[in-house]
Amino acid sequence: MNRRRFLKILGITGGGAAALSGCGIGPEPTQRLLPYLVAPDDQIPGVATWYATTCRECAAGCGLRARVREGRAVKLEGNPDSPVNRGRLCARGQAGLQGLYNPDRITGPRLRGANGQLAETTWDKAVQLLAQKVADAKGKGIVFVTGHETGAFGDLVDEWMRAVGGRRIAFESFALEALREGNRLAFGTAAVPHYDFAAAKYIVSFGADFMETWLSPVEFQNAFTRAHAFAAGADSSMAKYVYVGPRLSLTGLSADEWIAAAPGTEGLLALAMAQVIVARRLARSPADATRLGASLAAHTPDKVAAQIGIDAKTIERLAREFAASGGGLAVAGGVAAQAANGADIVAAVNLLNYVAGAVGRTVQFGPDLAQDAAGSYRQLAALRDQMAAGKVAVLLVHGANPAHADAAFAQALGKVPFKVSFSSDPDETANAADLVLPDLHPLEQWNDTRPRAGVYALQQPVMAPVFPGTMHAGDVILRAAGRTGTFKDYLQTAWRDVHRRHGGGKSFEEFWTAALAHGGVYTEIATRPVRLGPGAIAAMGEAAPPFAEGDATAVVFPHPALHDGRGANKPWLQELPDPVSKITWHGWAEVHPETAGKWGVVNGDVVLLKSEAGEVRAPVWITPTVRPRVVAVPTGQGHVAYGRYAAGRSFNAFDLLPGEPNRAGGRTFVVAVKVTKTAEHVFLATTEGNAREHGHGIVNVLPLAQAQRLRPGKHVFEEEETPAYARGAEEGWADAQREMAALGGYAGTHPRWAMAIDLSRCTGCSACVTACYAENNLATVGEELVRRHREMSWMRIERYVTGGEDGEPLHAVTAPMLCQQCGNAPCEPVCPVFAAYHTPDGLNGQIYNRCIGTRYCSNNCPYKVRYFNWFNYAEPGGEFEAWPAPLQLLLNPDVTVREKGVMEKCTFCVQRIRGKQNEARLADRRLDDAELQFLPACAQGCPSEAIVFGDLNDPRSRVRQLSDNPRGYHVLAGLNTRPAIAYLAKVAAPSGGAA
Amino acid sequence: MARPPGRVTYDFVTRTIARTLGNPGKGYFLLLGAAVTLLAIGIICLLYLLRYGLGLAGYSHPVYWAVFITCFVFWVGIAHSGTLISAILFLFRSGWRKKLYQLTALGWRGTNEEWRHFTRGYLYLAALATPLVLSVHSVVSWDFAMAIVPGWHATIFAPYFVAGAIYSGCAMVISLLVPIRKLFHLEELITVHHFENLAKLCLLTGSIVGYAYLCEYFVAWFGGNAHERAAFWYRAFGPFWWATWTMIICNAFLPQLLWFKKIRTNITALFVMSIFVNVGMWFERFVIIVVSLAGEPFERWSNATYNPTWADWGIMAGSFGWFFMWFLLFVKNFPAVSITEVKEVLPPPTKGRPAEAHAR
Repeated sequence: MNRRRFLKILGITGGGAAALSGCGIGPEPTQRLLPYLVAPDDQIPGVATWYATTCRECAAGCGLRARVREGRAVKLEGNPDSPVNRGRLCARGQAGLQGLYNPDRITGPRLRGANGQLAETTWDKAVQLLAQKVADAKGKGIVFVTGHETGAFGDLVDEWMRAVGGRRIAFESFALEALREGNRLAFGTAAVPHYDFAAAKYIVSFGADFMETWLSPVEFQNAFTRAHAFAAGADSSMAKYVYVGPRLSLTGLSADEWIAAAPGTEGLLALAMAQVIVARRLARSPADATRLGASLAAHTPDKVAAQIGIDAKTIERLAREFAASGGGLAVAGGVAAQAANGADIVAAVNLLNYVAGAVGRTVQFGPDLAQDAAGSYRQLAALRDQMAAGKVAVLLVHGANPAHADAAFAQALGKVPFKVSFSSDPDETANAADLVLPDLHPLEQWNDTRPRAGVYALQQPVMAPVFPGTMHAGDVILRAAGRTGTFKDYLQTAWRDVHRRHGGGKSFEEFWTAALAHGGVYTEIATRPVRLGPGAIAAMGEAAPPFAEGDATAVVFPHPALHDGRGANKPWLQELPDPVSKITWHGWAEVHPETAGKWGVVNGDVVLLKSEAGEVRAPVWITPTVRPRVVAVPTGQGHVAYGRYAAGRSFNAFDLLPGEPNRAGGRTFVVAVKVTKTAEHVFLATTEGNAREHGHGIVNVLPLAQAQRLRPGKHVFEEEETPAYARGAEEGWADAQREMAALGGYAGTHPRWAMAIDLSRCTGCSACVTACYAENNLATVGEELVRRHREMSWMRIERYVTGGEDGEPLHAVTAPMLCQQCGNAPCEPVCPVFAAYHTPDGLNGQIYNRCIGTRYCSNNCPYKVRYFNWFNYAEPGGEFEAWPAPLQLLLNPDVTVREKGVMEKCTFCVQRIRGKQNEARLADRRLDDAELQFLPACAQGCPSEAIVFGDLNDPRSRVRQLSDNPRGYHVLAGLNTRPAIAYLAKVAAPSGGAA
Repeated sequence: MARPPGRVTYDFVTRTIARTLGNPGKGYFLLLGAAVTLLAIGIICLLYLLRYGLGLAGYSHPVYWAVFITCFVFWVGIAHSGTLISAILFLFRSGWRKKLYQLTALGWRGTNEEWRHFTRGYLYLAALATPLVLSVHSVVSWDFAMAIVPGWHATIFAPYFVAGAIYSGCAMVISLLVPIRKLFHLEELITVHHFENLAKLCLLTGSIVGYAYLCEYFVAWFGGNAHERAAFWYRAFGPFWWATWTMIICNAFLPQLLWFKKIRTNITALFVMSIFVNVGMWFERFVIIVVSLAGEPFERWSNATYNPTWADWGIMAGSFGWFFMWFLLFVKNFPAVSITEVKEVLPPPTKGRPAEAHAR
């Protein structure tokens, strides 16, 4: 090759890359090769650009920062400016990228043709048809169904519907109607208050899954750990946390005490606690609480204990603890609020808060959550009946998939002459539509959301549309309505109003630019007092559960990752082990061992659950984390469409639910079922090995009293020292390491990268796992390979349980397990080709190009954190392809995509470490501990800030201080592996009466 | 070596052994065909693995080594005992093999000087090979023992593996020799006495292996290391208990029958026993490798079972095919019993006896 030819090739490849980023990313073949003569202002090849926007995976409205490389978003992280999530992000938020690059997205407008099939059409034709159909339908029924929209898009739809004589309803599968109704009953206001978990000193959750799907999970989890984590030194107290509910959910895993109340009796417990508090005058209750006294008397612990399924003394003790803490917070939601009497349970819990003096302190009305925009099931059911009666001429659906959540709705769709879907995914509703107008992904579009009073969160496109054939639904509506301008103009007009109120003297342009940079405008709203409403006493009569007798009570709960099914076509979320069951890619039915014995079923046996509304066939997962005679089944699976990862997977739990709304206007998720064992058996793809760790020192738990007595410098967990006879060998090894380091010119003082993981903070939510998938190009392997334990999760959450047998209280401990970056690593000496080696800064490096796949390193790793590439997961079109186009666009260009036959493992995000080091070197400064603390992707994402990273050689670093904490221990320290990760033992507040 | 009966002369030896090289019959080709088929299956599986990845085999985290390594250790063990089937080529002219032998003979003419060099060379090779048996299998064992995996990390491993190798080799020799002796009518050359000696060697090495098993369990208990104890408890009573007990019964208990001379000298009994030992020794390697990894006592969360797939069985079948194909080709193309060595123990021909017996 001569110089001329070399330059030619260089020019073409370089130009190709430039054109890819310059002309937008899409599956179209690149038409022109243009050199990057004039680079866009905001792009330097190889350097990431960050854009602030808002997460739309749920209604919480967390702030996002999207890392964009060469024109494509490659990683989502929490926006530290946002008061909602404070820089943290959950697994669903992380997986937003897989919605953006989803290979099954609809690439352009589709119209149902004469043959009944959806066929491509043009936007001009589609918009014209839409406008015409809507105009024709005037007076014959036009309904627009949206998701939970709290911003400009919802306003635009409302305006349009008003103009054409239609109406909008919002549909959320889990709209928490009972929460609003319960608040109305108790306080006369349907507002959903802000719950100040951080300030609480005693937390009781009545079924509220506030760390997974309830209202604002990241925010609440972050605040919860501030209250519940054990902070020795400054304040050696911690809030005790009690979880009440028939099933221990992810939120319940952190509980110090679990009250397995019978489904629907949670309200009775709250009333009995309130009764004790009022009768014994345990708290300074507001003056008007006295009028509750007489009605509460009907709910003494003795009277209700049997119904709840616990003994009266426990209720009395809980009431005393709650009142004595001086900062109690009781929340009701989730399973409890979704029972038929959910609103009454919520009202009862409100009363408990009220008599304990929590309202106004930990329960703050004022900065209310925008839950009223979630709509109600009553509205959807009414719409469904109208549709079935032929009273709806045009139905438009955006951001909701009611055909999956409600089988009767799917049937009624057939009676609507013209159905329009704005979904960019081929979901069940879109498949039934006559016109599909695929919207941009939230990461590609302008919009805003107001998750709670005072928070105005902005959404901006972080990249050009992945599929240029998709169009912003707002723009489509503006065109169909015959209005000028784009949706961005509409949004800015709406924001002029925000500017008027919160502009602070800045010009609109300045204000807008600042809002974009910060992801929105955040203001404080004052709290307002509430008083008992007129319905408060009446609600008490209804707190008892009105259940029909069946073989068992089925509790249908939202899957923490897949939610109502909207996450089902994202392989990261499908492969994320459920935090409780650890099952992937499939639904399951949780059954207590005692009940399973009675039914004669083992794990994986399929049972037929039959309610009055319908039936599902679900494989059994036997667990002590559920109450006997209760079957808990998650939603999320059972799609008949929605894409390659979602369709045809297990069962749709919505089929069990009645189609009629309950008194609160919501759906009833707790139903009586008949259970029949079938001959089928499913081999569940679980990542759980042995759920009991048998005191091997992988997880350690300290009782609160013992933890409070700890003094700095005195470690409770004895670390085995190197015995004298082995010391020589170890020193020799260390010398050899230093010599090797000197060879590469690495001599000098190096950091010792290390991590501290506080188990009193870890909730097992698994956000870190998905963050790791996103950052490190981890392949998803699919259900069949997970069955063989071939998942590639460098970071896994181990969920161990203790007790739960012979009347012992059940406790769960979760611990992230990842490469411990041992100082004395067993993986290194067994590698015949030195692919596993020791870096001067203390990491166990793994050189993919050197690895020949002997797999000995994994055999010799006591932590079992090395993962082998059994197949070529990156092979385009291959059977095990993990990134079918355009999913491969989310690959992090800083991290190698591994080949078949090589070993891989956690690197402590070495690419991020090197990035920071380079940054510091270019600026000629030292690395600051503050910029290292949350550097790895797992630490960055963790909603509870349980993972802290840094340099162990820096005596002032936070990681060093935490590692020296007396609660600290190394996993399997006895093996003398010298791990870089120090775990801090979980601290458990006393469960039961003992203090 | 004890002397064969009197009618075994130089001439008889040459004729008897040369007869084994006669034109093969249908049965031989059937066996050869079966071996080649097995090998072909193995090769096809190997090609699949190369194309799609090792994932086609039954590995599951943390069982990252399984049937392939089991087979490797099994065959290495057998190979080392191959020195016991000493097969030094004796050259003689016979039909179509003449050319082959001329080529491999490298100009051997059978002169006195050449014989002198041959015996010297033979001695040196034996002196080299004997420690090799010890060292190579020690190294194989240390490949495991250097790990920290309970069940691998044991000082007893070198003698344990060497004894195991000789043991499995002896068993394999018996398994192969019994049918050959019968089919080729070598009863007068390979006598019951030989078998009895092999049986004694089996008894010795089998007892060493049994002692090693005992030692492992004793140390696991006596050492007091919780991980070690958990691993050995899992080995004996975990989901793979059947593999462990197959290994213990076949390798440690059954050979104790060899204390009885009646059994040592009963060829059928020996054959049956040798098959059991072969199976047992395969399972010994399986238990050491797979069960130690599956029962990982450190990280409880990673416990998993192991289910082999068609790829595992295919490669294993291929390894047997590979062995038996070469073995079958060998017995028909080379004298399976060393002619010179047998002759060495015969009384040399003296005057008055036919002279040609010596020449051949």
